[in-house]
Parts: sequence; C-alpha cells; structure tokens
Amino acid sequence: MEIRSAYQRYSTLILSGLIVFVILLSLFVFSHQSLRLDESQSLWQTSHTPTKILNIIAQDVHVPFYHFILHFWQLFLGNSVLTGRILSLIFFILSIPAIYFLGKRTFSPSIGILGATLLAVSPFMNWYGNEIRMYSLMTLLTILSQYFFTMIFKTHDRDAWVGYFIVNVFGIFTHYFFFFVLVVQAIFYLMYRRLFPAKALRRFIIIAVVLFLIFTPWLLYVHSLGSASNETPQLAAPNSINIFNTFSQFLFGFQNDHLNTILVSLWPLTVLLGFLALRENKKVSPEAVYMLLSILVPVAAAFVVSITLVPLFVSRYLILTIPSVYLFIGWILSTYPEALRKILTALLVFSMLAGLAVEAYSPSAPVKEDYRDAAAYLEQNAAPQDVIILSAPFTVYPVEYYYRGPAEIETLPLWNRYVTGPIPGFDETKLPDEVATLKGSHEKAYVLLSYDQGYEEKIRIYMDTHFERIDMKTFSPGLTLYTYRLRYDPYVLSGKTATSTKK
Amino acid sequence: MTPLYTKTLLPPKDEFLLNRTPRFLLVVNIFISIFYFIVIAFWFKISNPYLFGVLIVGQIFFTWQGLMYIHTIWNTSYMPESDPRFAEPVDIYITVAGEPAEIVEETLQAALDMEYPNFRVFILNDGFVAKKSNWQDMEMLARQYGATCITRRTPGGAKAGNINNALRETKAPFVVIFDADHIPHRDFLKKTMCYFADKKVAFVQSPQYYKNFSVNEVTGGSWEQQELFFGAILKGKNRLNAVTMCGTNMAIRRAPLEAVGGMCDTNIAEDFVTGLMIHQNGWKSVYVPEVLAEGLAPEDFLSYYKQQLRWARGSLEVLFKYNPIFKRGLTWGQKMQYLASASYYLTGLFVIVNAIVPLVFFFTGAVPFVVSTMALAIIFLPYMFLTLYIVQLSTNFTYTFRALAFSMSSWPIHLLALYQLLTFQKSGFAITSKRAVSGNFVRFAIPHIIYFTIGIIGVIFALHRDGLTASVATNSSWIILNSMIFIPFIRAAMPQRENYPVESPLVTAPNI
Repeated sequence: MEIRSAYQRYSTLILSGLIVFVILLSLFVFSHQSLRLDESQSLWQTSHTPTKILNIIAQDVHVPFYHFILHFWQLFLGNSVLTGRILSLIFFILSIPAIYFLGKRTFSPSIGILGATLLAVSPFMNWYGNEIRMYSLMTLLTILSQYFFTMIFKTHDRDAWVGYFIVNVFGIFTHYFFFFVLVVQAIFYLMYRRLFPAKALRRFIIIAVVLFLIFTPWLLYVHSLGSASNETPQLAAPNSINIFNTFSQFLFGFQNDHLNTILVSLWPLTVLLGFLALRENKKVSPEAVYMLLSILVPVAAAFVVSITLVPLFVSRYLILTIPSVYLFIGWILSTYPEALRKILTALLVFSMLAGLAVEAYSPSAPVKEDYRDAAAYLEQNAAPQDVIILSAPFTVYPVEYYYRGPAEIETLPLWNRYVTGPIPGFDETKLPDEVATLKGSHEKAYVLLSYDQGYEEKIRIYMDTHFERIDMKTFSPGLTLYTYRLRYDPYVLSGKTATSTKK
Repeated sequence: MTPLYTKTLLPPKDEFLLNRTPRFLLVVNIFISIFYFIVIAFWFKISNPYLFGVLIVGQIFFTWQGLMYIHTIWNTSYMPESDPRFAEPVDIYITVAGEPAEIVEETLQAALDMEYPNFRVFILNDGFVAKKSNWQDMEMLARQYGATCITRRTPGGAKAGNINNALRETKAPFVVIFDADHIPHRDFLKKTMCYFADKKVAFVQSPQYYKNFSVNEVTGGSWEQQELFFGAILKGKNRLNAVTMCGTNMAIRRAPLEAVGGMCDTNIAEDFVTGLMIHQNGWKSVYVPEVLAEGLAPEDFLSYYKQQLRWARGSLEVLFKYNPIFKRGLTWGQKMQYLASASYYLTGLFVIVNAIVPLVFFFTGAVPFVVSTMALAIIFLPYMFLTLYIVQLSTNFTYTFRALAFSMSSWPIHLLALYQLLTFQKSGFAITSKRAVSGNFVRFAIPHIIYFTIGIIGVIFALHRDGLTASVATNSSWIILNSMIFIPFIRAAMPQRENYPVESPLVTAPNI
C-alpha cells in the first residue's frame, strides 16, 4: 500500500520529468533531422484545400483525420518542418500521462508509471513522436480508447461510453489499423462478458452501427476514386523475422542489421521471462489478457493478411500495440520478486535508452533519410546543364522540399506530376528510351536512388554499363547518389565543366 | 470427552485443488504441439543427423508427455458416488521406522481422534528391524494412548514388509495407512471410507500435503512439485480409474490388497506397483481432492535428493520390469496413465540432451537443423507459452518457477537412477528424514555448476571462432536459460539459512 501511494504521490513529478525529457530530446536531437519521405508527403498532401486533401488521401492508403488537423495547424502556425513535427510531439507528450492513467486503472499506479517511462524512453515512440505523420496521434487515441473501454468493464461508469464513442470516431479516421483496437475489444467482450454491465452488448452494437454508418461514406468515396498506384512505397510480404523485428523496434528502436539480428536472436530469453513469471497465485488477470490480445491480434492479423492478401505488415502501422506491449511488460515484471523486478526494470530502461542514443546519433540507423544533405550536395554540385534523376519517383517530394539549385529534376520511371493519374510503373524495356530522353544534351546525371521498389538495381546496372560513373555517395542507409558523365565533347573534356567553373 | 489432539492446524493451502482448464485451449494446445513436432521433424532441413536424431527423440518424449497431460486433465471434475452411511471396521496403520517419538505422537493423537464409529489404531513399529535406538519408545507411546504397537522382529521388505506384517496380525476389512509424520484431520475416515460403498473400489487416496512448505527452499520446491501431481494429475486420473497409490493418507480394502500378495516388497516404489497390480485385477480407485492429512516435506537437500532418487529408481523399475503396456487386465487408458507417470523420470535424460545441444554447437559448430532462428522461434514460442499457460490454469496458478526449476534440474538424479537400474545395482528403501539434516550439499549441484562453466567457456570459444552471430546469440541465450533454471536447485543445495531445528543425519548419505 505504501509503494502504491508513493507512486501516486510522485506521479505528477515523474510524469513531468518524462515529458521534459521527451521535449529536450526533440529539441536537441530529433528536430534537427532531415525531412523524410513520409513527412514530405504529409506536408505536400496537407498544403491543399480540405476538399483536395480528401481527394488525395482517399487515393492514398490512409484516412484523413490527421491530415485535416495538420492542415489547420499549418494555417495558423506555418508550414515548416518544425511546426509539423511539434504537432506530432504534442500527441506523443499527451500519450505519456494517458498511458499512466490507463496502466493505473488497468493494473496499478506502479505499472502505470513504468508504462509511461517506457513510452517516454522508447526509441520507436520518440522517432514517430517527432515525425510529421499520424502515428503519435494513433497511439494517443488507442490509449484513450483502451482507457474508456477499461472504465466500462472495471467501473461500469456510464460516462465512459461517451468518451469511448468519441475517441473511436476519431480513431477510425486516423488509421485503418485502428479497427484492430475495436476487434480486440470485441473479442475481449466475448471472452469476459460477465465483467461488463448488463446493457453493454446493446451499447456496443449501437456504437458499432454508428461507426459503420459514419465510415461507410468514406469507404464509398475511396472505392469510387480507386487507389493511386506507385504513389507510395511497395511493401514486401513479411516473414517470421519481421514479427520479431517489430518487437525489437518497439523496445530498442531502429538499429543496424547486425545489432538488430543479435537482439532478435536472443529470443530464448523470452522463455526464461515466461518461466520466471510462474509464481504462486499470480493469476493472469482479464486485464492482462486484454493487453496480450491487444498485442497478438493486430500483429497476427496484419501478418496473415500480408502473406495471404496484400502486404501491409509495417511496424509503424502496428504502433497501436505499443501501449499494450509496455503495460504487459510492466505486468509481467510485477509478478517477479522485488529484487529481480528492479534489476530487470533497470536493465530494460537502460537498454531502451541505449537504443535511443544509438538510433539518434548513429548514421547507420536504417530509418534515417538524409534528403537534406543529398539536396545540399546536389545544390552545390549539379549545374544547369546537368540533370537530377530520382528513383523511386515519389522521392521527389523531400528532395524538392530542400533543393533550390539550378539543375532540372526528373524521375525514373518518367512521371509528369502535372498530369492527373498514377505514377507510371517501371518497365525495363522502356528504360533505354527513358534514359535517352533524360540524357538529352545534359552533361552529367545525378541519379539519386532511394526507397527501392524492386527496380533500383536494374537502373544502376543500366547506368553503369552505358555511362561512366564518376562518383558515388551514400547519405543515409538506402539513399545513394550516383554521378554519371553523359557527354564527352571537347568542352567537357577540357575540364571547364559547369561544376568546376562554379567552384 | 476431551479430544486427545487439540493442536490447531492452520487451514491447508488447497488452491491447487481448485483447477479448471477450458477444453478449447487444450484442443489448441494439442494442435500446436503436433504442429511444432511435425515442423521440426519433417520441415526443417537436417544438418547434423545425430543431433537431429536425439533432439527428435526428445521431442517425441515431450510431445507424448504433453499430450498425456492433456488427456489426464481433460476432465478433472469427475467424482464417483459415495455413501456417507458406510461404517465398516477399519484398522489404522501408522508406519514408523525410527522417526522421533514426538512426531509419531502427534500423528497417533490425531488418528485416535478421527470421527468414525469403528476403527482401531496400530503403530507399525519397524524401529527394531531398522536398528533404531528409539524403537521401544513406540511401544510406550502406544500403551500411553491405548493403541496397539506391532513391532516387527523379522526384517525384510522395508515399509511394504512392515505393512504386510501388520496385515497378518489385524483383521478389519479395511486398512488406512499414514506415514509417521502425516497427521490426519478428524474427518479423514468420513471423507474417504464412504467411497467403499461401491464394492469394486479397492483404494481411496487423498493428497500428500506438506504443511512445512514454507520452511525453506527445499520444502517449498518439494511441495510446489507435489501440487501439480496431487492437483490436476490425480484429479484427472480419477476419471480414468488410474489413481496412483501413494503409500500414505490412503484407505485400502483388505481383500484386493491380499489378493496381490500385500504391498509389493520387491520394488522401492511399493505403493505405485501395488496400485498397478490391484488395477490389473479390475478393481477401482478413487482420489479425494481434499487435504485430509498433513505431513512433512523433506527439510534438507540430502533428504530431498534421496527421496527423489528413490521415486525415480522405483518408477524406472516399473518401466523396465513391470511395464504397464504389457500388463493384462489394464485398460488402455490405465496403461497410458501408468506409463506416463513412470516415464516422467526419463525427463532428466531429455532435459540434459537438449541442454547439451548448444554446447555442441559452441565447440563443433554442429547444429541439428538448418533454419533461421526466427523461424524456430515463431513455432516454438506459441507452443511453449500455451503449454505453460495450460499448466498454470490446470494447477490454479500454483505451479511455480521453483517447481519447474526443481523438476528440470533433477536430471542428475534421473540419470543416476537410470544408471543404477541399467547396471543392476541394488536399491535400498531409505525413509525420508523428518528432521532437517544440516550441511552443505552443494556437491549434488556439481553437474549443474559444471554445465554453467562449460557454457561460459563455450560462449567464449564460439565468439572467438564465429564472432557475434545470430547462432551464437541464440545458443548463448539457451545456456543462460538453462543456467537460470538450475539456480534454485543449486541454491537449495547450499546451506539453508532458516531458523529451524536441525540435527545430525539420521541416515547416511547414499553412495553417489
């Protein structure tokens, strides 16, 4: 009881400290990072009128709630990268007390505090809490939905239904994966009907019907437009490694391949953690089952759908499981003897902080996209008589955001953005013609390859075998610039190139 | 009349008897277990055929044990009919072989105080043949309380011989057996004898509860292992008419016992074999899932070790000499149940085989199959965690890490028992000490310490050879896992720090 009250007494202080930590980290580390592809798309998408935003998002793989918020946020505060990131940061910061209250209501104040701590030091959350995307909002809404749902079956509070409904309306328009939150809640209700108030089933059905009615027009609208192909990165079908990578990223962030491989290879230790949780009369409570379902159902469903229907297994889409992962870990640790619990908690927090530091400062962190440096390099080196070729085509958004140089920017496959319609797909037989078109009378080609869509290597080999490669530079993992000489006329050979003149 | 036995007992810890397991989870576990086995046996590409072979044999054993467990706990609520009016005469046997008089006195008092219309209490005194200095104390004790002491003068057959001797000197159609330290509750007879109204019931067993479970690591570990057996397993065996006879806290009909020649005195697990032979003759057995008597767990590691060795030796003897599969008169359900119980003591063999596989990799680079460690994880983890959860549900969350650790760390005991059996070494019946024996028994944990040491050397060796690869990381994790599991066993073998009376060993340590 004393421990419980101590956690409650100091909860404000601890939560404030965690929030300050997150803000400082954002201010000194994450806000200085280059704009990434997804972020540039968010900025581009939300720079339109609300009707146009609806139109663009309907052809994308997302739902529009976050984009509307971002649109109006930018109207008032400007459309810089920083202001966009601050919006995500606000949702992330709000998630910290939210998960505390969820953990406190579901398990205990100490588990709430641990959940909040893990969320605040999470390399994964800090990454997406500073990205101009909907993921931190999705996390916040997931926590709130779980909070109200827990209120419904733990306190039978009638007001909880109102909050539950409102949060879920916003949730389903934030990300399609939010439906997994509702699916898990439905499964839990079927398993533990006895815990719910008498009229719960009727209310759940009413809410489900209303949500369906609200969401149906959007689905019809999306269907009427059809999706825009090649607008976004293609996803590969996942395998078992992706599942473990996802959990590894949730705990230790984005690490280089070797470190990540080692981390996931330690999986037998999870068996040990399970064994250690075998304690007399430490029962698996319904709340723990709910958290476990909230982890397993979305991951399993996304995996199965990805290998059977369409690949959509992306760790960031599964961010909705993170609150449950952290609270479930907190619950598991709470079953251990005190000394072991303290040691393992400290070890976990320390490991996550180490992962956060490596993710923040290591240039080999796999999710880094240094388009800013690439654009600066191009601005410095590419002359008006050169051409910049980007592949995949949609990477034009982040490059254009930064690039202010004189060279012409083109894409491979060729894509005229000012003509309505999808991005043309890659066709190897058309590659020679397309490259010939791009070559024109340019002197050098700066081929910036990133977001491999399965044809990056073909482009590189074609360019390597038809032109002289004179330079290569990697800015971040998967973001490489190849420079080719396209012409050999006397003017160029004399060495008085535009670049050298510029220098 | 003032009750003789007035000591207030704390309410027994009986959560282990309140179990439930949803059948759909059992079905899922069956599928996952079989799926896991099929995948590792047929799907993965074999690398080293010898390692693969031993791993598969081990997995066949574990899968079979797992499926048998599910078969056992499929229905744990079955109870046969009883008649509370049943009141046939009963002889109560308290088996003694040199236990301290005060311990026997408590049991005697409680036995005399039982509520039942027609019973006599006998102290079965084996102190004389066991050459115990206090054997005459038992006769004095019996006289003091108006009970009868049967002191055996002709040795042979250990506890079984003691009981058989008493059978010849007593007449009641039913006998009840208590070990010297097992204090019966007043309602023991009322709650067990009523099942003999069915004339086909030969014996009624109740839990062997250890009231001293909280004294130290040894008693705790012993009891937590017992909870699984006396909870889910015996409750399930009730349905299959395959209840294991446990030698204490049980009531037996004289006729079927005499029909099999009394308690079997050619096996150190005399109760187990006697129960099997009675079942062979078509008799029924009943398990009463209620704590009706309270005894003492071994309080020191030496006693625990010897008890486990005796059980292992006796059970393996059943496997090799009285294999239930070839016994006529048993149903297939009974054969499987006896086989599963007896073969439990082969677990150690497969535990150590599995534990050695990472060491083989460290020093030779050999692996059983070529597979991504993640692919193995994706099928192993659901299998493992679901099995654990089912064990937890079926024991009402009383199965502990310590119980698991004690079971898995008992591999040297199981191997020793197997070795003794295969080399035809003579086995002796050693009574489990009722008092803690002081000392440092860490020598019993030397195999575990050696494993841990070789593991560390192996990790260093493999790191030097391969660098930090996924295989090295995974196999190192297995070493950590195994070593952590051995820790409670090692700790229990070290000198205990409890405030509990200890005395010099009552019996000499076995030659191991």
